Amino acid sequence: MATTTIEERQRWNTLHKNGPFPLKFFLTTKLEKDVSGLSPFEKYKDAALEIQQLIKQAADTHERFRAIGSKWSMSNIAHCEDRMHLNSFMNLKFSIFEGEMHEDSDFDHGNLFLFQCGNQIKEISLYLERIGKSLKTTGASNGQTIAGCISTGVHGSTIDVGSVQDYVVGLNLITGPNPEDNVYLERKSGPALRDTYFQNLGAKIIRDDEIFNAALVGLGSMGFIHGVVIEVENLFLLRRYVKKIDKAEALKLADTLDFTNFDPKIPDADFKGVRPFHYKVFMNPYNTGESQYPVEFIYKIKYYDDYKADFGNPIPFQKEFVYLDLIYLFIKIAQKLPKSIPKLIKMLKSSILPKEEKTTVGKLSEIFWDAGYQGKAFACSFGVDHTQSSKALELLAKLTRENPVPGIFAMRFIKKSEATLAFSKFPFTCMVEIDGIQWDDHKKIISLKEYSRKMIEVLKNNNIPFTLHWGKNADWGFPGLVEHMFGDGVKKWKKVRGNLLSVPMQEVFSNDFLDVTKLSEPLGPDEDLIV
Amino acid sequence: MFFPQFLSITFKHLKFETSTLKAFRMRFLKIVLCFCVVSIMASCYSVRFQVENGQWEPADTEREDAYAGYNVHTLDTVVTRKLTTGDHYFNISDCPSGALHTVEYRSTFGGILLNAITFGRHKQVKIKYVCIKENSM
Repeated sequence: MATTTIEERQRWNTLHKNGPFPLKFFLTTKLEKDVSGLSPFEKYKDAALEIQQLIKQAADTHERFRAIGSKWSMSNIAHCEDRMHLNSFMNLKFSIFEGEMHEDSDFDHGNLFLFQCGNQIKEISLYLERIGKSLKTTGASNGQTIAGCISTGVHGSTIDVGSVQDYVVGLNLITGPNPEDNVYLERKSGPALRDTYFQNLGAKIIRDDEIFNAALVGLGSMGFIHGVVIEVENLFLLRRYVKKIDKAEALKLADTLDFTNFDPKIPDADFKGVRPFHYKVFMNPYNTGESQYPVEFIYKIKYYDDYKADFGNPIPFQKEFVYLDLIYLFIKIAQKLPKSIPKLIKMLKSSILPKEEKTTVGKLSEIFWDAGYQGKAFACSFGVDHTQSSKALELLAKLTRENPVPGIFAMRFIKKSEATLAFSKFPFTCMVEIDGIQWDDHKKIISLKEYSRKMIEVLKNNNIPFTLHWGKNADWGFPGLVEHMFGDGVKKWKKVRGNLLSVPMQEVFSNDFLDVTKLSEPLGPDEDLIV
Repeated sequence: MFFPQFLSITFKHLKFETSTLKAFRMRFLKIVLCFCVVSIMASCYSVRFQVENGQWEPADTEREDAYAGYNVHTLDTVVTRKLTTGDHYFNISDCPSGALHTVEYRSTFGGILLNAITFGRHKQVKIKYVCIKENSM
């Protein structure tokens, strides 16, 4: 049997120390050992039964239960006060064979894999690379679990690919303690696996586009994500180059995403008129006289074995970490003297911004490698239609100059997601984000909650439709926030949640985040009919 | 401690132990102490090795350093070498994957001193290591 250790706790915190939050029990499940003689499929089935037992325990004691991955989210979306479950050790991996494919499937079986929830992005990439495959995109780093990524909509800046959830083709959810509460979801319009595949694992098959799309970005509240079937692609290389370009040009490219007449002038390469795989603009809000912005261009190129001989190892031999005590000293100064923030940002510029004018070539997992900073951090991230990206950036930067906080802005771009509550809801969403070092509340500096409230207000007052990154800091209790962002999508999401989870299970899989955003409130009988 | 005693003898011989000299001596003592502290601090260092193609074993901790999110094991001991003993090694038995992701060794002033004054008989060993996550390979 898979075994779970249950540890009594007083508190829990995110990786970037955005808490602490109160907690009663911390649970960790480990799979049955190989010596047991169980096959990987038997271990998977066994783990599902263990999770169902844990859900039953929570329900019986009227407590909430929440799976967490690598706790990278900075909002409290991963937290629940009763029982938190670390799923990182549930990391089985399965290739899909031809005979396991659905008869109407258009997918290539060689590109489909089933990963158990706790597989982290780095281990998935390493596993795939050994067989010549690659994920389509990741976030800026590699520590998150696959279930955590899709639950919160982790994204990179891959203009024509989308976010992590956008290459998911199947979801295995455990929605309660009973045998019928093990379900496997696929889109009706995109079947992938033969029914018997998951039936043999004890799951009921549901093929429905609306249910699948709602469950995809489920905010950890559509049940326990046990397994994820994803589509990958053949290994490719990325050619990364950072340079400063004219501010007007950088913003024009952001607003249009039209690269047909643009030449990035990258040494020893001709990418004139080529739309990059990834486009990212950095901006220091305190440097208003800046005529150029640092911009990161990444182009997709064909994979070949000897790329390190031509370009060197993209992973540095010697990795340097920012001296945390120094950063924290800067923040202490910033709290007492907010006017010093622009100067502090200028001093830290070389540590914050990427090195310019240096070509790096590597696999996806090498370009978006281990995070260099794991101390206290905050991030506020807004999704806007890319055509309004420069306007949104200017408004938010102006607000930041008026209320200085220790961070810098960046803009990343993502293709529209089909997930009901994906923040990448525009045809091409520009994520305008400010990342920086967390500060303590102090009378001389604006609080993070107030700052993020003002950010929401400024976009609303200027009629810029927006979304917010679920895993980042925001004033999540802002009245009518989620409805403002997603409109009828909220009702659709709640309706599916009501269909997948019984009323007691909706309570088990709720948390403070869901309560504050009012997503835990079920639909009224009339609303249910309208959707 | 060596420098203040030496100074004290020198000043006694010269019979110049006035209040100004006392203040000077205190200041000198402080400088020497600072120098010693800086020397000791500078002689403490750690070196970390990490594999680039492996998944670290995760842990839910409240660390804020480079090991945040890593399950860190520590080995802190003093090895006593016998006259007939040559090199020795430690068996790491708490990595279920059987592989290491990170190893860090730490050198301290105390450790170097211990080794020196015991003519290499006692050796301080301070190691941190992180395993590769089980089933990740």
